[in-house]
Parts: sequence; structure tokens; C-alpha cells
Amino acid sequence: MPPSGVSRESVATAAYQLTSTTGDGPWFKNQGGVAMGKADFAVIGTGEVPCGTYPERSEFEIAYRVAKMAIEDAGIGKSEIGAILCAVHIMGSEYNTEMFFGHLPEAIGAKGCKITACTVSGGGSSFSIRKTAEGIIRSGETDTVLVVHAQRFSQFSTNEQIKFFAAAGSNLEWEIPYGMTYNAVAAMMTQAYMAYTGTTLEQVAAHCVACRRWANLQPNAMFNKKAITVEDVLKSRMVVYPLTALMCNVLADGGSAYIMTTAEKARRVCRKPVYLLSEASAYSHRNLTNATARFRDMAKMHEFYAPVAKAAFERAGLGPKDMDIFEVYAAYPALALVMMDALGFVEPGKSGALVASGETSPGGKFPCTTNGEALSFGHTGTGVGFALFVEGVRQLQGKAGKAQVPNAKFLIEDCGGGAWMDIHFTVMGNEIPGQF
Amino acid sequence: MDRNEKLEELKRKFNLSDEDLKKPLPTPTKWSKPFWEGTKKHKLLLKRCRECGHIDHPPYLYCTECMSENSEWMEASGRATLYAFAVNEYGVPFPFMADLPYVVALLDLREGPRMLSNIVDCDPKDLKNGMELEVVFDDVSPEISLPKWKPVKEAV
Repeated sequence: MPPSGVSRESVATAAYQLTSTTGDGPWFKNQGGVAMGKADFAVIGTGEVPCGTYPERSEFEIAYRVAKMAIEDAGIGKSEIGAILCAVHIMGSEYNTEMFFGHLPEAIGAKGCKITACTVSGGGSSFSIRKTAEGIIRSGETDTVLVVHAQRFSQFSTNEQIKFFAAAGSNLEWEIPYGMTYNAVAAMMTQAYMAYTGTTLEQVAAHCVACRRWANLQPNAMFNKKAITVEDVLKSRMVVYPLTALMCNVLADGGSAYIMTTAEKARRVCRKPVYLLSEASAYSHRNLTNATARFRDMAKMHEFYAPVAKAAFERAGLGPKDMDIFEVYAAYPALALVMMDALGFVEPGKSGALVASGETSPGGKFPCTTNGEALSFGHTGTGVGFALFVEGVRQLQGKAGKAQVPNAKFLIEDCGGGAWMDIHFTVMGNEIPGQF
Repeated sequence: MDRNEKLEELKRKFNLSDEDLKKPLPTPTKWSKPFWEGTKKHKLLLKRCRECGHIDHPPYLYCTECMSENSEWMEASGRATLYAFAVNEYGVPFPFMADLPYVVALLDLREGPRMLSNIVDCDPKDLKNGMELEVVFDDVSPEISLPKWKPVKEAV
């Protein structure tokens, strides 16, 4: 039975009643370092260009445009920016060289800029770059950082893209010689997830439908004109069994940017800042064959993610029932179900039924992935996580237009890179729990 | 159409050179060389730590458990079970197009490590999670033989 009639509260803790399958006790714990302050940082403005196929729009133009939009949206002067961080362009050597060597501060006339750098960890870049920004702000060198992502794939042939992406998801020595592709990595995980959990392909397809419904409300989404049905998804061309074409994401040109600052400055200069309340992270592997013990049993991949999500919630002093939105980034639909299994708002293994019931779609009880993510918004290399983060900020600022979740106050977002090598959860809010 | 005819058709259709259709081969590293020397002799070798007994596949410079560089290469049984699989039907790099459809899979070696490879000599429809597999070697170049896997036939 679909769990749509179940109250939030009754399922909220289900994901946490997990027993260890590996017998290694509490493996996920804070390993020390500088104690994290609560909500020390905030985002005050965002920018984004339409995602899709725009061969005439260079990655440089994207970077300049999203930077300007973010500065204007934040309502600050560009001279206030003390650091500019760029995500790398996957496949773009000229752009990367330019950004490594300080192109962007000059190009946008950020004369107060002291630090510029690139930070990359594949699909986890939106997290690692934010940590770089936090470190710079914490150092006291500046209180305002501009973060930019820009990507253009359309100047490369389909074969070049396939070749490149095969190598991004798989190891050159041990996997690529067997004809591995990124889609095939996801397909194997999907096959195992279905075989070992009883999740159906219809339920997997339902997430593609939900993503399209959200994307249809997003002016910048690559696919925002047409609704799709579960039948459409299942009937589209088989790419790599069990994944059909509509279950595979499409590489796209796009980019986004945001301005990050201290919570203190954010309150002064911004009407509705979005506070970064907490984070939690874990790493698993490079080669999927060497996934950590908790990831190895593909019936229970959520057991790898759930304790990390739980740590993020606990650090924020919030729980799944407090979340208005779950910005799930998984790039492929079955993995999105795994992530939902881990987030504590649905009983593990029931995400497929929940998604099929429509409750993660616009108007549902558990809005998930409100920009349509890689499947429908478009896959912009390291930018999928950036796009979802920026969408989360828009939602909490009340600027999400037709996709706006009414009165959204708190959300959790995730990102990770490679062949599901790692995971980073972030809890965000437009207020700080206990302070307002 | 046999594989060579398919390759010729691809060349014509996409205006490709022989180079474009060359399959990527592993480039052995200092620490993986014994593995590839083994497969060339149709032996499946695994790197085992002499200090703690941990088996690393893929092999790295030193043991990923205890960091010891004191290791040995042991011959594996060549038996495994199928953990997960996918059947490529479309959208693969040119050098693999003539092989479509082909199966990539995760398989669990009897010795413990999980490996990624192709399943050959099997109709994809007959694949089942947990089925028994045995290693076969595909001599893809004079230097490189790739370990691949096929279902173990039930004894008659």
C-alpha cells in the first residue's frame, strides 16, 4: 500500500531504526576538528541561466552572466566581494586554465577581490567549494564570497561526451576496457536495487515523472514543455537494461552562482537570507567494486546514507518532520529512491510507492527535488549540485516562482560525485532554530 | 552481420578511422603489472598482504588495510557469483558499438573481492543474480588479456 496516507511523524524515525549489517558499531561520528558554529554562514543571492543546448553561449559568458545576476540579486556592490571561487568546467581546458589563473575577478571588475581559486570534487563540488568559501570567510580575510559554476557540453560531439563521461564514472584500467559507461554504472545499481528490494521499474520510472512535473514549473529547466507518464518512461528506448532513455540524464549547457557571507552580514544586508544550518559527509569509494561495506549490499544502500543524514539533522537540531522540502540529488531515479529511503520521511524500501503516489511531486506532502534535477533540469557536469543548491536557496527566499513550495522554511539537500563516491547533506533554513 | 562487417558499417556511417574504433586497453602500473602478466598466462592473480592477509583488488602500491608493502600474488579459484548486471544496448563509445548488446556486471569472487567485468557466452535473458560464474580470458592484444566471466554449466 502506498504510504501516502501515513503521517509524517509516524514514519519520520523509521529510517533511523537501523541495525548495523557490518557489526562495526557506530561508524559515523564527528572526528574532531574545529567545532562547527551554528548557522555562521548564509547565502544572500543567486543567479542562473537557462539549462539546455546553447552552443553559441560560451562558458565564459555563462560565468559572467550568473555572477552579475547573483551580485544584483544579493543587492551588494561588486567591490564587496573578497573572494571568487569557480567550479571546473568538465572537458573545458581553456576555461579551467583561465579560472585557475584569475580570469573571473578581472572580467567582472571585482576590484576588492583578494582570493580566487577553483575547487572540484565532481558532483560533490557544490559542497567542497562551499567549504572552501567558509574557510576563507572564517580566516577573516573577507566576509563575502562569490561562487560560480559554468558548463558547456554542446561544442563536443556525442561520442566525445560519451567517452568522457564513461571515464568520469569508471576507472580507466579496471572498468573502461569492459565498455563501461556512466549509465551502465547506474544500471547495475538499479538492477541490484530492484532485484534485492522488490522495487519495480514502474516505481523507478515514477521518479522521472515527478522530476518532469517539477521541471515543467522551472523556466530554466532543459525539459519544461511536456509532461511525461510512467508509460512514456518505460517505453522510451532501452539504453542499458534496466535503464531506458528517459531514466538517463542528458548533458546540458548551464550555470549558476551565489553569494555567500556571514550570518551576521546577511542579516544586515538581506531581507531573507538562507542560513546554512548544518552539514554531514561520508566517503565510500572510487571503484564501485570497492564500495564501503555499508554500500556493498545494494539492497541496503540507504544504510550508508541514513546515519549521515541523521547527523546533519542532529547538528541542526531538526528532524525530517521539520523539512518542507527534500532536495534529493542522485542523478538516476533508483538512486533517488535510495536517498529518500535514507532521509527519514519514508520507511526504507517504500520510497518507490511514495513517489508513485505523487506525494513527492508538486503539491505533494513531501516535495522532492524541486528543480527536476539531472533527469529533467539537465546535467551540467559538476553543476547539478549547484543548480539544486541554488534552487533550495530560491525556495527558502520565496523566489521559486511557479515551483514555490508555500511557506518553505527548512530543507535538506544532498550532493555527491564520481560513481556515488561520497555524500554531503546540508540542512538550510530561512530562520535559525531556537533563535527566532 | 559479423563483428567486422559491423565495424565497416560504423566507419562508413560515422566517418571513423581505425583509431576511432580501437578499444581502450588497461595501462598496467608498477603495482598492477603482475596482475596483467598473470592474465596473459590465463591465470587470475590477486594481491594479498603478507602481514595482515588482506586482499586488494584493484591492487594498490601498499596494503589498503595495514599499509604494508610486503605482499604476494596468489592465484584465485576463478569462480565467482553474479552480484549485479546491466545490458548495454545503446549509447556506448564507438569501439564497443559492434559488440551491442553486451553485459557488464559486478561479481563476487570466491576469495572475497568484488570485480567488474563482462559476462560472455550467455543470453542476457538467462542472467540471474547469484548465479555461478567461471573466469575465461579474452586475449584482446598481444600484451593484454582481459578476465571475463561465463556461467558455470551444470554437470550433466
